[in-house]
Amino acid sequence: MSSVLDDAPAAEALAPKRLGVLFWVCVGWLALNVVGAIFANVLPLVNPLFQNYNAINVGPSLHHWLGTDDLGRDILSRIVYGSRVSITVGIGAMAIGFGIGLPLGMLAAYRRGRLDTVLTAFMYVFLAFPAIIAVIAVLSFWTPRSLFKIIVVIGLASVPLVYRVIRTATLAVAARDFVTAAKVQGATDGRILMKELLPNIAPIAVSFLLIGIATVVTLEGVLAFLGLSVNPPTPSWGNMINESRTVMAQNPWLVLFPSLALCLFLLCLNFIGDRLRTYFDVTEVKL
Amino acid sequence: MSQPLLVVDDLHTTFRTTAGPVAAVGGVSFDLATNETIGIVGESGSGKTVLARTIMGLQPRTNVEVRGSVLLNGHQVVGASERDMRELWATDVSMVFQDPMTSLNPVMRIGRQIDETLRVRLGMDKRAARARAVELLAMVGMPSAEHRYRAYPTQLSGGMRQRVVIATALACSPKLLIADEPTTGLDVTIQAQILNLLDDLKQQLHMSVVLITHDLGVVATRTSRIIVMYAGRIVEMGATRDIFYHHRMPYTRALLESSPKVSNPPHTRLRVIPGRPPNLSTLSAGCAFAPRCESATDRCHRERPTLENAGEPGHVFACWNPVARTSSHEGDLRHG
Repeated sequence: MSSVLDDAPAAEALAPKRLGVLFWVCVGWLALNVVGAIFANVLPLVNPLFQNYNAINVGPSLHHWLGTDDLGRDILSRIVYGSRVSITVGIGAMAIGFGIGLPLGMLAAYRRGRLDTVLTAFMYVFLAFPAIIAVIAVLSFWTPRSLFKIIVVIGLASVPLVYRVIRTATLAVAARDFVTAAKVQGATDGRILMKELLPNIAPIAVSFLLIGIATVVTLEGVLAFLGLSVNPPTPSWGNMINESRTVMAQNPWLVLFPSLALCLFLLCLNFIGDRLRTYFDVTEVKL
Repeated sequence: MSQPLLVVDDLHTTFRTTAGPVAAVGGVSFDLATNETIGIVGESGSGKTVLARTIMGLQPRTNVEVRGSVLLNGHQVVGASERDMRELWATDVSMVFQDPMTSLNPVMRIGRQIDETLRVRLGMDKRAARARAVELLAMVGMPSAEHRYRAYPTQLSGGMRQRVVIATALACSPKLLIADEPTTGLDVTIQAQILNLLDDLKQQLHMSVVLITHDLGVVATRTSRIIVMYAGRIVEMGATRDIFYHHRMPYTRALLESSPKVSNPPHTRLRVIPGRPPNLSTLSAGCAFAPRCESATDRCHRERPTLENAGEPGHVFACWNPVARTSSHEGDLRHG
């Protein structure tokens, strides 16, 4: 402890907060998932569509680390390839949701007035309608289904949710004096939005983004379960769980592993989102 | 004296509310010379802050009507767009806000907040702006400014934060500084430090200052003139000395009597002003202070008094039954 008369800021006040080991374990797991998804065809994996009729419904073994399904396909390979769909949908849809919802929400909250009234009313009309029903309805009729269409539909459906969270977060910040102070010091609207408001809502935005990705990955699973996601035999975590349902009694591994993959992915995202929010919250004074 | 820096003429700021129009500022006129400090005193809700924001051109664009004229260094502020005001802000007029806890961006290092202005308004490059920011921090009495440059607002005390706010406001050497209750949230000892700092900087930088407060002790020794506001209007205005010793408006007297003095014997009860400040949307035709005034007559309730000359140069008041000319409040100005 430095002396009371010491002018320099106390060292511990500026010491970085720690993220913790578990955070990095989660980051590692997610990285592994993403790397696997990107390099799936380079990795020494069996073709996920290859049906080996000599090894049907076998449990985990040296040949098939996570076993095979009822058509003799390698589950590990299918999970890795399946992550491509799940992760692409998760990130893609949220990119659309935030790409539209974030700027609109911030602008509406900062500008207020008519723009805010119209936009908010518009968004709330969509919020009043259950998003999942809308997504299912649109995807049922918009055929043939493709990854792109799924991403667009889920992405657009998430816009009102993102808009609402971002607008509320921005409203709370925009009313504070430092925004007026920045304005009076000559900052333009763009500068205020980017430099004063965005960093202040970033912790909320980032954790909502990560939770959003998790939600969308689940939603893709739901759609796949209903047969509304990518067409079989292309694997996704959701349709693997769906297909395994019929043979669950004979081969419980089949439902366990893709579910586990989905679960761990979501858990890691949520945990990281939570830790990041705490970490970047400089307003949380360390006493 | 040359042309005044700030000329406010018959300024009205009216908010349109569902309960009808509310005249937060109802016809205020005054001027301010270069290098002069004027104090604006009044209770909460007397329109001080709205007046300050109107002079800054900061009132919201919707549901507000501003009439009259504010000439700031020759530029008309009333009716100016935000784009026009941006030319004046920071270089011509700047503001220190009430609460240092909310007037700094919590997620931006304090140095950066000063830098921004320098780079945006004065076009300084990164290094020059940084050097100047450290200089400014040192100027407002920030110990080890070089270190603190990288501190976040939460790592500073209230007094230190207010110093940063002042440094930011002064970054572009404004000609006019509006300080809206700059010491409200601070300890008394820190209050004095901040006020003395403002005073010193005013001398150094040849600024004019509008010092808004509800504390007469704050303005006593630091202003040349005082404006007393009540319900959005000026009820008395004059040289600081005249306001303290020769005030004519009963409201001014009541304000003075309700602040503690060192010369009072211990356990002296302070006078309080009975009642509450009036609701601005339901003002009567008479004097707004009449319901709380001990010398109010029928006329006060019927007819609103206009500002008239009190005798001393520049001393005006609005009252039908003014306080007698020989006031008994001679004493040390430095009581606060």
